Amino acid sequence: MWCAGIGCLFLWDEIFLNAPAFDRVRAALFNTLVSGAGAVFLSLVLGWASGAAFFLLEQRRARYSFALLSLVANAIRSLPQVVLVLVGYVLLNQLILAEIIRSETAQLAWVTVTVSVAVFLEVSDTIRSRLEYFRSLEFIDAMLCCGISESRIIHREILWRNSREHLLHKLIALFGVAIFLQCSVDFIVSVGLSTNVSLSNVPLTLGSLLASVDSKQDILALSNLFSDPAYITEIVVRHLQGVSAAFCIVFTLVCFFMIANGYARSRRLNGP
Amino acid sequence: MTRPPDFLVGLSDSLKGRLVSHAAGVVFVAVALAGFALSFEANAPAESAQERHLESYLELNGVDFGDPLDRALFRESLDRFYPGQAARNDSLLQAIDDARVRRWSGPGLRRGDTNRGFSPALLPEIAWQFAQFLLVYILALLGIYFGAERLGLYRFVKWKQGRESYLGESIRIVREYRHARANSRVRFPKGAVALDILKALGKGILTTLFFSPAYVIAYALKTSVDTSSLPFMILLALVSNGVLIQASNRFFELLVAEDRKGYVRTATVKNLHTSYEWNAKEGVPVRVLYRISQNLGPHVLRHLYENARFQFIPAMKELGSFLVTGLVIIEMALNIQGRLSYNLLQQILFGRYDVACVIIFSIFLAVKGTEVFVDTWHDFERRRYGF
Repeated sequence: MWCAGIGCLFLWDEIFLNAPAFDRVRAALFNTLVSGAGAVFLSLVLGWASGAAFFLLEQRRARYSFALLSLVANAIRSLPQVVLVLVGYVLLNQLILAEIIRSETAQLAWVTVTVSVAVFLEVSDTIRSRLEYFRSLEFIDAMLCCGISESRIIHREILWRNSREHLLHKLIALFGVAIFLQCSVDFIVSVGLSTNVSLSNVPLTLGSLLASVDSKQDILALSNLFSDPAYITEIVVRHLQGVSAAFCIVFTLVCFFMIANGYARSRRLNGP
Repeated sequence: MTRPPDFLVGLSDSLKGRLVSHAAGVVFVAVALAGFALSFEANAPAESAQERHLESYLELNGVDFGDPLDRALFRESLDRFYPGQAARNDSLLQAIDDARVRRWSGPGLRRGDTNRGFSPALLPEIAWQFAQFLLVYILALLGIYFGAERLGLYRFVKWKQGRESYLGESIRIVREYRHARANSRVRFPKGAVALDILKALGKGILTTLFFSPAYVIAYALKTSVDTSSLPFMILLALVSNGVLIQASNRFFELLVAEDRKGYVRTATVKNLHTSYEWNAKEGVPVRVLYRISQNLGPHVLRHLYENARFQFIPAMKELGSFLVTGLVIIEMALNIQGRLSYNLLQQILFGRYDVACVIIFSIFLAVKGTEVFVDTWHDFERRRYGF
């Protein structure tokens, strides 16, 4: 459904949107999706490692290490995700000015890492809850008695074999969160923080495309619909760059929310 | 002697442990942010002694160095206090003129940067902005909590009725018509099908609206509505960024999970009402959608609701954090002046990270306060249910 929707949008843009603007929309969507996918993958790696680490430290009663890790995790959890991502953008700003990071790919990679640091704890919490649930089951003790190593039980038996669906559901939902965070902070940064950094060097994403003057004018034009509903015909033909960027963001968020929901319902993932 | 409220008497050990953990988190973040702010101050270029000396002249009361008369009087005063040092006095006046030029034409001032960094004088302004932020946050969080329960309940009843999808409902009507047409002459139910299609369209538009980022909605309404007013901000925080939809979905999933449990079958056998028709004799009254206290009588939904509500309470921590994220995005993206998040954006823009740390810490306290409240509330409910 998402592919069909984006395909229809591109078909419409091909007909009514000028070529340079259409190229920008395509590039922005591509960069946003790649960054979102990268953030999800990194979150899985970080969340898996931290979740397993929490569990093992608790099992082995390493109180001080567990307490320290919990302290750091709770601090990250209590800081709003947008603030964490904003701090990452500030650091990116400094690295660009110091010419340590130059290429667009490196900048996009930095953004990806920043977003994944802000969201990986959700994966970690899912993994911890799955490990806690399985800890009480008898087959875990049976495997330990058979001499199977704890790490194999955790990584292969519990997480890979019995929790793949839960993790996949969480990752699908997290993709939407990553897209939302990245677009929002890109929008804020493009509007407020771009004084010292040339916009032409920062990779174009849906958020920064939406923050451009042309796109903001297109979104402002939507308010004409209140006084003149027939203006919708102009909106979908003349104000297409901003409307396309906004549509891509909203449609992606709605679709991935529905995909995550549908997947959870079909696999009956609600509850323990 | 008045008795303290029940929820404060005898805090459970698990709650005590969590409160200690929260306190440790506050101390940890405070120390980390303070350390960063102090290191920023230590690395910032220090004002030279000469600059401070010149500042003392510039801050003299009643002396306007732009006024030729004041300048002449000042020059004569210097000659009186430092006789025979004309060259020194001329150099001092020239240095004062240079300092005035730097003060009024520096790059910071061109960006609107009039402050010099963190000082206690900034605290009342930040405190007032934080109070406004908290007001919007608390009202929006309450709205999301009650809205999520109501929407989740509504969706669950529709699901039990088998009418969750309006498009599915219109397809069902068409199929029934085809089946009925085979046996007798019946009219095509145009009105019912058209109504369901319209409802489906409306639901799609509302879903799109609820998932739209706040800045898209606000910019779309910017020329029609005052987007910086408090009521609009609360409404925007409620309906945008997908917070309400996700919260209601979470509550709905909890009701569905409860519905699958064994006690529901036991309750059915014991003659509790299980009809989900609106306002039917043994069905669900519509008033459950707008009354705060749910009196559902001898209906199995009452137990599903109570159990789901208990499990929904801890989810408010995550929703609160996401709501704060949404509010910060709203204030920053719309450049609402005089608000906490816009102030944070400005401090980051001006490179005054010490002030930014103070603001970040205040936002952190709002989230942490929510977590403490939710944990205490959940513990109270847990003890009320006898766990």
